[in-house]
Amino acid sequence: MNKRSALAFAAAGAALSLGLSACGGGGSETKPADGSSAAPAAADAFNAGLEAVFNPSDKKGGVLKMAISEDWDSIDPGDTYYALSWNLVRIYGRSLVTYTPAPGAEGRKLSPDLAENLGESSDGGKTWTYKLRAGLKFEDGTPITSKDVKYAVLRSMDKETLVNGPTYFNDWLDLPKDFKSVYKTPDVNTDSAIETPDDQTIVFHLKKAYGGFDNFAALPGTIPVPKDKDTGVKYREHPVASGPYKFDKVEAGKQYTLVRNEHWDPATDPIRKALPDSYEISLGVNADDLDNRILSGDLHIDLAGSGVQPAALGRVLGDPALKARADNPTGARTWYTSIVSDVAPLDNVECRKAVIYGADRVGLQNAYGGEFAGGDIATGLMPPSIGGWKKLDLYPTGTGDVEKAKAALAACGKPDGFETIMAYRADRPKEKATAESLQQALAKVGIKLELKGYPTGDYFALYAGKPDFVKKNGIGLATNGWGADWNDGFGFMSQIVDSRTIRESGGNYNISIKDKEIDAKIDQIFTETDVAKRDALWGEIDQRVMEQAYVLPSVWSKGVLVRPLGATNVFVTGAFDMYDYLNLGVQ
Amino acid sequence: MTAPLDAPGKTTEVSPEAVLAGAGVKAIQGRSLGQIAWMHLKRDKVALVGAGVIVLLIVIAIFAPLIVGLLGHPPNEFHQEMIDTSTMTPKGGTGISGEFLFGVEPVNGRDLFSRVIYGARISLLIAVLATLLSVVIGTVMGVMAGYFGGWVDTLISRTMDVFLAFPLLVFAMALVGVLGQFEKDLGVTGDTLRIGLLIFVIGFFNWPYIGRIIRGQTLSLREREFVDAARSLGARGPYILFREILPNLIAPILIYATLLIPTNVLFEAALSFLGVGIQAPTATWGGMLSQAVKFYNVPHFMFFPGMAIFITVLAFNLFGDGLRDALDPKSSR
Amino acid sequence: MVTYIIRRLIGAVLMLVIVSMVTFSIFFVVPRIAGATSEDFASRYMGRSADAEMIAVTAEKLGFNDPIPVQYGRWISGVFVGSEFDTGATVEECPAPCFGYSFIKRQPVWPDLVDRIPVTLSLALGASVIWLLGGVATGVLSALRKGTIFDRAAMSIALAGVSLPIFFTGIVSLVIFSYGLGITAPGGSFTPFLENPVEWAYNLLLPWITLAFLSAAAYARLTRAGMLETMSEDYIRTARAKGMQESRVVVKHGLRAALTPILTIFGLDLGLLLGGAVLTESTFSLKGLGDYAVQAIVTNDLPKIMGVTMVAALFVVLASLIVDLLYAVVDPRVRLG
Repeated sequence: MNKRSALAFAAAGAALSLGLSACGGGGSETKPADGSSAAPAAADAFNAGLEAVFNPSDKKGGVLKMAISEDWDSIDPGDTYYALSWNLVRIYGRSLVTYTPAPGAEGRKLSPDLAENLGESSDGGKTWTYKLRAGLKFEDGTPITSKDVKYAVLRSMDKETLVNGPTYFNDWLDLPKDFKSVYKTPDVNTDSAIETPDDQTIVFHLKKAYGGFDNFAALPGTIPVPKDKDTGVKYREHPVASGPYKFDKVEAGKQYTLVRNEHWDPATDPIRKALPDSYEISLGVNADDLDNRILSGDLHIDLAGSGVQPAALGRVLGDPALKARADNPTGARTWYTSIVSDVAPLDNVECRKAVIYGADRVGLQNAYGGEFAGGDIATGLMPPSIGGWKKLDLYPTGTGDVEKAKAALAACGKPDGFETIMAYRADRPKEKATAESLQQALAKVGIKLELKGYPTGDYFALYAGKPDFVKKNGIGLATNGWGADWNDGFGFMSQIVDSRTIRESGGNYNISIKDKEIDAKIDQIFTETDVAKRDALWGEIDQRVMEQAYVLPSVWSKGVLVRPLGATNVFVTGAFDMYDYLNLGVQ
Repeated sequence: MTAPLDAPGKTTEVSPEAVLAGAGVKAIQGRSLGQIAWMHLKRDKVALVGAGVIVLLIVIAIFAPLIVGLLGHPPNEFHQEMIDTSTMTPKGGTGISGEFLFGVEPVNGRDLFSRVIYGARISLLIAVLATLLSVVIGTVMGVMAGYFGGWVDTLISRTMDVFLAFPLLVFAMALVGVLGQFEKDLGVTGDTLRIGLLIFVIGFFNWPYIGRIIRGQTLSLREREFVDAARSLGARGPYILFREILPNLIAPILIYATLLIPTNVLFEAALSFLGVGIQAPTATWGGMLSQAVKFYNVPHFMFFPGMAIFITVLAFNLFGDGLRDALDPKSSR
Repeated sequence: MVTYIIRRLIGAVLMLVIVSMVTFSIFFVVPRIAGATSEDFASRYMGRSADAEMIAVTAEKLGFNDPIPVQYGRWISGVFVGSEFDTGATVEECPAPCFGYSFIKRQPVWPDLVDRIPVTLSLALGASVIWLLGGVATGVLSALRKGTIFDRAAMSIALAGVSLPIFFTGIVSLVIFSYGLGITAPGGSFTPFLENPVEWAYNLLLPWITLAFLSAAAYARLTRAGMLETMSEDYIRTARAKGMQESRVVVKHGLRAALTPILTIFGLDLGLLLGGAVLTESTFSLKGLGDYAVQAIVTNDLPKIMGVTMVAALFVVLASLIVDLLYAVVDPRVRLG
């Protein structure tokens, strides 16, 4: 997921702290799916919000204050691809299903939202049916029907108009050839993809079977949009609410305020508490000031959810009282450096291995912010919270193994090393630090790097993500990162390891992995109906990626989040690895 | 932008560069200028201190590898053992010790002393060469405009106006990015490319400031008696230009070049601060400051590069002021 | 006088046209020479799902395939009569004055600029009042007490002032006064004047002082030099000989003459500042025009860069126009030919 491309130093929070994964992943026994009342209350201690609800309460009222130092793509549910936005959108929009508001791994489980139940599959997983609850209404009081959901999904697929969102529906729904978009070809019959036999029922038809369709149904794209209120790109000026809050003021890039949506009926919504009377969201706040205001209690939530800035980090970790207010989740996100197998001499696996052996893995961890703000040293591409993850131990994780690197170089036929170019995003200090660290470490084994910074906005479209540019300019290494769209192998890996997703026109997130064996395994996964076997295959792909040394992973990202003063129901959700924005309240 | 260029003698006083300079400069007169200037300069202790610091800075820049070899560590070398891996700040706050004179950078523990010393190279190189470029273009254009007058003057003056109307910093930022795409065509990469680009951009946008002054000076010189005398003696254009006018322009050129250097030091630092200067890992003062902002909890990180900029700029300003007073006896002190 | 004004107006308009042409060329022509295709221009406006065909369609739709003069003409005509942009679902109006349409943010640029002008205006006006008063007062006092300790101290501080980069003094003062002592507002604070004038001033106090310090230093030096020069003129001696009060001599004859060039420069400086105090805004995280320009450059949003550059140039040209006209009124020596 292009989680927060605009937020330079993202370190996504994540569900499984290492401690948790050690006790076996899904072993969390935290029960109540429907909120916090029965969940254990957490004491004020470091990481207290990871597995328990901090300050549980049902008290209504107050203003919840949120802020973010930058901006995100859009508040239009059909046009957004940021984790923070997928988290936030749920206060004003209801998708067919959504993530259970519960701490830790439990938060990754899906609960029905607009739908009465999770999806029912038939036709061997090619057809998925959802029944909407009764009594659902938009903010203007008009009833929500399955047609509104269908319209929302179809419009979100128009990537010329709504460019930001994910493309899962485009790739999987069985649409007629002559359908271009809801705007250009409004009259084309699309029942082959989505049927709405009555106002309560919606049926999705896929091109091929997929057992995890509920993850698609949880995408913000299924949040209903009334057709007569859709204004294309301008819909973001006032998305129509289906959740408990509606937009009161929308000042793009500056401020949003949300107030209660009187037409939202709690009887139709078992998962939302809807506690605060309103939300105040400020954008473009100075990042350091934002941290200070959270520490002083003047502000509740840093929407970005990626952790405090370096200056505040020192304060928080250095002061026991402040540290007790911090949570340090590990995200389903890996920061890594692609080793481009198209560019000589990295077309030789031994030369690629030499890069990994020679790298100072501790230095790379430091570049991302160290053990707390950066994350744990990654030994594979796939983060530990993803199903099928197994610990790989193919390379040393110390400060660089010169001997092994030199041996690999000799095996590659380049005993004296070689020169190549390393690309990074120029305005991201952590990526710059990564490039500098690699340059220092690899120089010791004779690999000379020339560092080149490219603008973040065009990094994938015109530079590192454009095969032609990479080859022409001899870019051997390109640093980047990836976060899961949801926590399974498909949600994390599919966009970054499948060579068939690579487009010559650019915009690729898979920069270096072109491997027939991996492609074949992916095909096998799609025909595999057993979840455990699918997960195992994703694990094998991860292993193959590392064996072939296509990427040099830096860290599985972590962030230091600070629990707000005066807010209730605070916990880190495993779905987004940041505070769950659904049921926060004000004391 | 055209402050009344038609009123000779006023030109210099209404041009923005006077802000930098502090006072208007009138056409320079008198003989044995060098001697008089030296006489004045010798007495001007402050200017001499400035000159001393400048010389010292140049020596530091030239012998940076030597100095760093004796007193520091290679500027890009990591010293992660100096860093607290939880907060990413130097152990013990700054890391200042006999081994690391200015302490270390957060995150990677690079020797701040070495980086500040090496930063002087980039800063001075770019500032001086960009100034040279401005002076050359500015002098040629200014003399042409002032000497030939007529449509030549109009054309050049309007061009200068256009240049002065651009938001300089924004434009320079954008231009560095756009021109960077020519990498392949220019045949240079890395630091060389960036340094070249910065010299070009900074120098190219600053020439009108010098150009205006030179134009005004030339304009007033052209009407002077000694030029008239030479002309009536049968001297021709080139002779008058090179033997009568140019020598009289040396003083203002020197003064404004000296005063433009510190502006360019600041300009380069600003571009690096905004992230469009020299690329990593090469040390620049502005680049260090922009990193230091994130780590305002370790103030030594911003203190040393900040002071380096301050001292350099101040030294050039002091010397430039002294030089102006010395070369232009009419300016009051 | 009227012909002079008309001439200068025409000149100003011409200048803006040239500035816009140069700016346009740099962003839309130079990259092409470097080998960028229309598709490259278009692809940065597309999401990650765009395939080659969609990019080609978008390139055509956004007019990147048209000859450069046509593209430029479209931009200019947008400024005067507005233009329309096909966003796929709907055709978006960009009403005049349309200073471009950001395809990345799907917004016309002009409302953004209008939104940010108050911030830059507040910053520039406040700071300029402080520096003008502070600088001129210091300069006059220094000149009158030439050689005293006050003069030396003031001039030393002034010299230090012009030698400090604002992104250094700004951060240092933020760390000390805002984050350390907590007596001034933290970075990024802005309240519109009409909403709460006291808070407006409080929030901007630190940026004002920091920015003013720099310029005040230059103005103090300038005023001092100007005063010293005028005070040695014959007419001052005459005035004194007449038995005029010294304070009147200083104010009426000395200062007035010395002030004329300073006001000129002040006008130009203010014009430049109104186009965006890039460094001050970026240091204090103020969302003004300068910050807008920096963000536009970082995201490579060409229409935004184009728009903000033009507005900045407009301020400079306007300021110099006003200065020229005032000058013509104030100073009879200026020939209005």
